[in-house]
Amino acid sequence: MVYDSLSVIKLKNILLVTVPDDPGDDIIQELQMKVLDAIETYHSKGLILDISNVHIVDSYFARTISETSQMVALMGGKTVIAGMQPSVAITATELGINLGEAISTLNVDYALDIFTDNFSAV
Amino acid sequence: MTMDVEESGETSIAVEGDIVTCRKLIRNVITVAGFGMTDVTRIVTAVSELARNIYVHADSHGVMRWRVLYQPGQVGIQIEFEDYGKGIPNIDQALEVGFTTAGSLGMGLSGVKRLMDSIVIKSEVSVGTMVSVEKWGRVK
Repeated sequence: MVYDSLSVIKLKNILLVTVPDDPGDDIIQELQMKVLDAIETYHSKGLILDISNVHIVDSYFARTISETSQMVALMGGKTVIAGMQPSVAITATELGINLGEAISTLNVDYALDIFTDNFSAV
Repeated sequence: MTMDVEESGETSIAVEGDIVTCRKLIRNVITVAGFGMTDVTRIVTAVSELARNIYVHADSHGVMRWRVLYQPGQVGIQIEFEDYGKGIPNIDQALEVGFTTAGSLGMGLSGVKRLMDSIVIKSEVSVGTMVSVEKWGRVK
């Protein structure tokens, strides 16, 4: 399926992606490709994945996000996962999910802080 | 939500997009039935894992059946995933954390077991697999 359902927003030297509430496997794959392409195009130093709308994180989603953050790291960038809902955090933990190298923050504001105030400390 | 909600029914799992269809369908059914938000997330996540198992392992030949159950003060959901795929040779092994034949994280079945109240797996090699899960919640 080819369609544009995800926007990768460039904010200075970072990228912001808002993940839709119930992303299918195709959307998660699309996310990975778009992000890596955008990092190359814009020479971005990092990625914020806003998952505050997402109400399901299964093992496929977790694996793809974890792989994406590894790929971003290989390209010299940092990934921050922002805004996980409480019920998703509970379920992900019970399921045994971890998000690999990605850092988590409560919301996008805190994620931005990591890249602006405190970038060298992370 | 305007979508009609049936307390029991079935839907086929044939293409990747059916994983999302199963998730949305069950989300509607159990939200209307009165499950709380965290249980809804648990159940929908389990559905996603089990529907994907059919898509990945059974050459997309499978079906999901669901049924809302009632007991005094309690509401339950029973969901059954049946496929006509290659079957699971060793069910105990398939339920171990980290066991995978698909290059994934291997947390699917073991994780589903933790998210739901019960899981029953019946499988015959070259015939197919039936996974039945159940979860109960208090009526609000």
